[in-house]
Amino acid sequence: MEQFEQLLTCCVCLDRYRIPKLLPCQHSFCMEPCMEGLVDYVRRQVKCPECRAEHRIPYNGVQAFPTNVTLQRFLELHIEITGELPDPTSGQIMERCGVCSEKAYLSHCAHCEKKICEDCKSAHMDILRREITRFNSQIRRSLHRLQDSLAIIEKNTMSLQTNAISVTEEIDEIYHRITKAIKDRSDQLKGEIDRYLAVELRNLTTLKENLDLEITNIGSNCDIVDKYMNETVEWDDCELMDTKEIFLKTVEFLRHFEYENNDYSRRVRFLVSIDPNQLVMNLATFGDLNIAPHSTPGGSVSSSHLAPPSGLQPGLMRSKSDHRLATQFRQQEERGGYNDEPVLGGRKFGERPQRSATNSDRYGESSRYGRSDYDYENDYENEPTSGRTGKSSRFRSRFVRSHQNDDSDTEQQQQQRQQELKERKDRVLDSEDVSRGQLSGIIRLSDCSRVVQRLADIGKEKKSDKKSDAASAAQAAVQAAIQTQKAAMQRQQQKSQQPAAAVDEDELARQKRKSAASSGAATSAATSEAGQDQRPNSERVATLKGPRGGEDSDGSGSNQASSPVRTATAATRAESKPPVSAQVAAVKKTQRSGSSDSSASTESSASSGAAATAAAAAAASAAPSSSSQQKAPSTARHSSARDSVATTAVPEKKPFVSRFLPQHSTPATANGTADKKKAESSSSSEEETSSESESESEPETKPKASATSSSNSASKSTPSSASSSTTAATGSSTSGSSYRDRLEARRASRDDSALAAASRSTYATPSSSGYGSGSSSTARTRTVPAPHHAGESEDRYGSSSGTGSSYTSRFLNKSKSSAIVTQPSLSTPTASFDEDANGTGDDSDSRYGTGRSRYLAMKERRTRLARSRSSHQFGNEDDDLDEPVSPTTVSPSAYLASRYSGYGSSDLSRSRSSHALKSRDNSPITDRSAGSSRAGALGSSSTDNKDGEALSSWARYLKNKYGNKSSKDTPSSSAGSARDSHATSSTAASSSHAHGIGSSGSGRSTASEVSRRLSLGLPLRQANELASSDDDGSKNGLGSPTSPTVAAAVAAAGITGVAGTIPKQVYLRKRQQLFQLGGRGSEPGSFTWPRGLAVGPDNSIVVADSSNHRVQVFDSNGIFVKEFGEYGNGEGEFDCLAGVAVNRIGQYIIADRYNHRIQVLDPQGRFLRAFGSQGTADGKFNYPWGVTTDALGFIYVCDKENHRVQVFQSDGSFVGKFGSCGRGEGQLEHPHYIAVSNTNRVIVSDSNNHRIQIFDVNGKVLSTVGGEGSDDGQFKFPRGVAVDDQGYIFVADSGNNRIQIFNPDGSFLKTFGSWGSGDSEFKGLEGVAIMSNGNILVCDRENHRVQVF
Amino acid sequence: MSSLPRRIIKETQRLMQEPVPGINAIPDENNARYFHVIVTGPNDSPFEGGVFKLELFLPEDYPMSAPKVRFITKIYHPNIDRLGRICLDVLKDKWSPALQIRTILLSIQALLSAPNPDDPLANDVAELWKVNEAEAIRNAREWTQKYAVED
Repeated sequence: MEQFEQLLTCCVCLDRYRIPKLLPCQHSFCMEPCMEGLVDYVRRQVKCPECRAEHRIPYNGVQAFPTNVTLQRFLELHIEITGELPDPTSGQIMERCGVCSEKAYLSHCAHCEKKICEDCKSAHMDILRREITRFNSQIRRSLHRLQDSLAIIEKNTMSLQTNAISVTEEIDEIYHRITKAIKDRSDQLKGEIDRYLAVELRNLTTLKENLDLEITNIGSNCDIVDKYMNETVEWDDCELMDTKEIFLKTVEFLRHFEYENNDYSRRVRFLVSIDPNQLVMNLATFGDLNIAPHSTPGGSVSSSHLAPPSGLQPGLMRSKSDHRLATQFRQQEERGGYNDEPVLGGRKFGERPQRSATNSDRYGESSRYGRSDYDYENDYENEPTSGRTGKSSRFRSRFVRSHQNDDSDTEQQQQQRQQELKERKDRVLDSEDVSRGQLSGIIRLSDCSRVVQRLADIGKEKKSDKKSDAASAAQAAVQAAIQTQKAAMQRQQQKSQQPAAAVDEDELARQKRKSAASSGAATSAATSEAGQDQRPNSERVATLKGPRGGEDSDGSGSNQASSPVRTATAATRAESKPPVSAQVAAVKKTQRSGSSDSSASTESSASSGAAATAAAAAAASAAPSSSSQQKAPSTARHSSARDSVATTAVPEKKPFVSRFLPQHSTPATANGTADKKKAESSSSSEEETSSESESESEPETKPKASATSSSNSASKSTPSSASSSTTAATGSSTSGSSYRDRLEARRASRDDSALAAASRSTYATPSSSGYGSGSSSTARTRTVPAPHHAGESEDRYGSSSGTGSSYTSRFLNKSKSSAIVTQPSLSTPTASFDEDANGTGDDSDSRYGTGRSRYLAMKERRTRLARSRSSHQFGNEDDDLDEPVSPTTVSPSAYLASRYSGYGSSDLSRSRSSHALKSRDNSPITDRSAGSSRAGALGSSSTDNKDGEALSSWARYLKNKYGNKSSKDTPSSSAGSARDSHATSSTAASSSHAHGIGSSGSGRSTASEVSRRLSLGLPLRQANELASSDDDGSKNGLGSPTSPTVAAAVAAAGITGVAGTIPKQVYLRKRQQLFQLGGRGSEPGSFTWPRGLAVGPDNSIVVADSSNHRVQVFDSNGIFVKEFGEYGNGEGEFDCLAGVAVNRIGQYIIADRYNHRIQVLDPQGRFLRAFGSQGTADGKFNYPWGVTTDALGFIYVCDKENHRVQVFQSDGSFVGKFGSCGRGEGQLEHPHYIAVSNTNRVIVSDSNNHRIQIFDVNGKVLSTVGGEGSDDGQFKFPRGVAVDDQGYIFVADSGNNRIQIFNPDGSFLKTFGSWGSGDSEFKGLEGVAIMSNGNILVCDRENHRVQVF
Repeated sequence: MSSLPRRIIKETQRLMQEPVPGINAIPDENNARYFHVIVTGPNDSPFEGGVFKLELFLPEDYPMSAPKVRFITKIYHPNIDRLGRICLDVLKDKWSPALQIRTILLSIQALLSAPNPDDPLANDVAELWKVNEAEAIRNAREWTQKYAVED
């Protein structure tokens, strides 16, 4: 047998023959690779390895040699006999591997979509495994977000219940009170009636008795006279006389007696003071349920805690906003198209992706859907044009989530799938029996049969030594475990659904009950709910009619909505993952347990109504109920609900809810969420709105009305009730007159704002559109002050004035958030801002520079707060008057004007980041608290930024320079005011304001900074020191802005102060190392080839740990704080990063050298954005090295291999460049590092020219320092440069291994350091940086450390 | 570095499982293409009793090109020079992919039995071998005793 096998073995590869080719010498060899390898291509010969006979190769190559058929038969026979498995590669032909281009047997690799050899494939699989591991850890890290959300949901559920209960109690209380009042009154009246009756009766009875007596008496008298008063009886004269008298009296009496009929015939009437009909009506509508669209309270139901903070959500999806936008866009374009793609592109887990052939086959076969192929063909046609099919399924899957929102779509798909299921059992796209996350469409891996199989296999392998049944037992065990898990999951789901459903029904019942008594909101809620309930049915009908039907309605629904909504929806989408198709859930449920059918259907309706729910959220109590209906998705829903009323309201409120409702809400939507194109949409929405809410016909109130109407639409009241029963109007109607008051106040404030150089349009714009979701919140927040106002027309906090205590107090309670905001905002507007800023501090920067949608989404809350405050201030303008006047408040116009025209240079305006500009729109609105609200909108950081931008820190600079010398104070300030062409008032105000610094001690009040700088009004930058913008703006300060006190205070608080005091001598003394960081390694706190260095605004030390591909952050004492980044070219990943910079708001700007891009990370180290790619065009890089940023936020990049410096705005847009390769002035050769002084001098280490060049911001050379050499003031390959805030320049003279310090004028000051690895010795210098306390940080690359001097 | 071809794996396995008498080839721990070889001197040859160390390296395109073999132990042989290089046709132009490590090593063992002074590499040795074979063989014995016999 062995010989036999040997005969079947190719002697070259020592393997079984594969396609044995017979040489003329009768020896056989495998065709590939053996025979191929034997070929001598030069001589076109093949030499037999066995007998060394040489044969000419046939024209067609070795494959033309005859195949040794006999041998092949033997091979087959052998396989038959031994039963050994055929070689898996038999019959295959070798090809060039798509990756390593070696010839080998290839198989398809799902990773790279190529045919590749085994080695490469295993390498790719390794990569995949690593990636999965990485993702896994990422997921683990961010999983807590979901858990947080869960916690919030639970909290929300609680609060919802509490809320509902309390509202119910209130209603009961009112009910009791009213009934009691009625009862008391009626009892009283009845009592009176009774008393009256009794009295009258008694009177009548007495009268009757008397009369009877009279009659009897008179009758007897008459009888006696008749009988006896004749001749027969003797009467004496006296007697007769008396009788006559009596009779006379009787006659008189009878003549005069007249029964006073009138007295007793008058009626008692029950007079009702108010028209009973009216009264009944009033009673019938004695209360309304009004759900504040978002977190602010209104009406009697507050949902302030319904909304989880948006800040929690976006983290996971942070980087995806663009995609989401795109998704949104696409979805819109393809609305109605086939756009329902589950997570794995519809595949089963582990299934090979389908080739396009199947796809087209599938879509082509549209007749299957029982309708004309027109639609579907079209849809499918659309897809390629939108670039989806081409790109690959991977790309498409990203857009999955959005589709799943369209339930009718899902429904339709279900049908389709079922059909498919029937038609093609082997279709990959059939729904698998897996549990899918409702939000993300993520399937549970352990549900996938393949995974089960694998796990089972593992189990088998482990126990393969044991008996086979043991193995099967293991498998069973694994499966059982999985099943249990599944079951548990299932139970959980059910559990969460059933009570939810119960709650839902409860709620519904209550709603109905209320709706009987109250109109407006409740009705709409019920309606929308009903609509929601109906939906599945009608959908089904639609689906039955033809899949297109449901889709159409869907389409039309979203059609109406989506254009204005887009942004906000995108934002919403960001948070709301797509609910898994109801169909999947339903199918799964039915398969698993019949009992869960109901819940399944609930689910389907729920998930179908996913967004409808959100809509309902807008529409009032329906929302909470239904959102609590599904546990998991509720987060998303919450957030979406919160994000904007309209966002979801429209797309999901299908026509059949009511024609009227969508219409009504559409303008609101447009209003609430309109994209930033503002003007048109806002105006149109205004028009529509105003036409709808007729009561508010005043042109001035229009913007307001539009804002209001969003909530109006929520409560879906008729026009008349729009004014009376909702929000802004609501507030006023509750206590009639205050509405007027408020209007007036508002008007007044508007006047103010007009004064404030804020054009009305600006005002209108942000309120209605500029802020996307934010503005919807405007509407909301507006409601807050309104009721406030209403409830307490005079006394803001006074509890029970006119309207009844319950209302007011409730408002106060419920609107806690707003109240909180309000309160401080009244006393110290800026301080309250602080609160805001703190509250949302996290978001502030991340919002700063990312995609728009996210920006908006994140801003939402802040804006809301700011808004509420500002609107409140509108409302209470009068109250505020007596408050200390803050400069930003009083003279916004001056402030703005000074900003704009004071220096008027385009530079400045350009310098403002787009965010800043955007925020500016906001500021006029809130004229009173221009500073603070702007800040509120922008976040602390941006405020600061703007301060820096707008006002620069010339003042500061001066102060730094001269701060200690009081003699200089006056000149500087006078210079300031001289420069400041505006309003002395502003100066004065600001100066008074600025004293806040002195007294407030913390001295970092941005507001005061602003004003102070304003007062000095000089354009200069300051170092990063202001990054933390506190806006405490205490206005009670006393000093003078430039007084030593202030300087001292600032020195104490800020960094500049310290820096400002550094004398030259300090630098001259520098020699001795203070301490050092790092050491070689990759653990935290160690470095491998560190390069860039930067000092953060909080004096942290930031090190670009280049070959560890990460950034490390230390505190000013060198204690490790954090690290971020890893190797790669994804977001937040680096490839040998070089330069690093920290801007004044703490964002990290990183030159990702080998990825040829700049990345910007937020202070937490999370990716914000990246820009640039390899190339020589503007905005492209070739090994960017040093990077720095100035006070205006511009980013300067040393584009090393392009021998130039490029300048970008903080958002990454290209601003300019300078330098070209060469030795001349202004030319650069391998510029490495860059620094910008606060006098706007740009210092570049022109490394290969051995010099430092100093440019102005426009790229004009100011001076050149140094030349090649080792003397003082000469360089060899200078690298790191740094400049302190007094202009002293520090150069890492890399070739000479020393640090040189230069005076601001470029003259040599000091040098220290030498080659070596001891203290104060260097090997290969890289970046340098200067801390605010004058410590010099030096990156000692080859020693893998950072030294501090 | 691409992975090891199946042929090398198979050959190595076979060398371990069915060692050739008098020949021991062990792949290096770090490099499977590098073998530490020990060949015993054939009986009835001047190299009898000697244990000769060789190194063998399989080039990248093995088996299409011949393995590189070199004596590490000093040996007195007309076809093996001072550096241990071997003049053997199958290692050069007569290499055939059908040959294997074991066959090559057998060939080398055979070369020890039958020196071929007509195709010399070490010219002085070959000269002596031709002129005075007895002395040459004696020298070979001495060298073997001196270098190839371990106590």
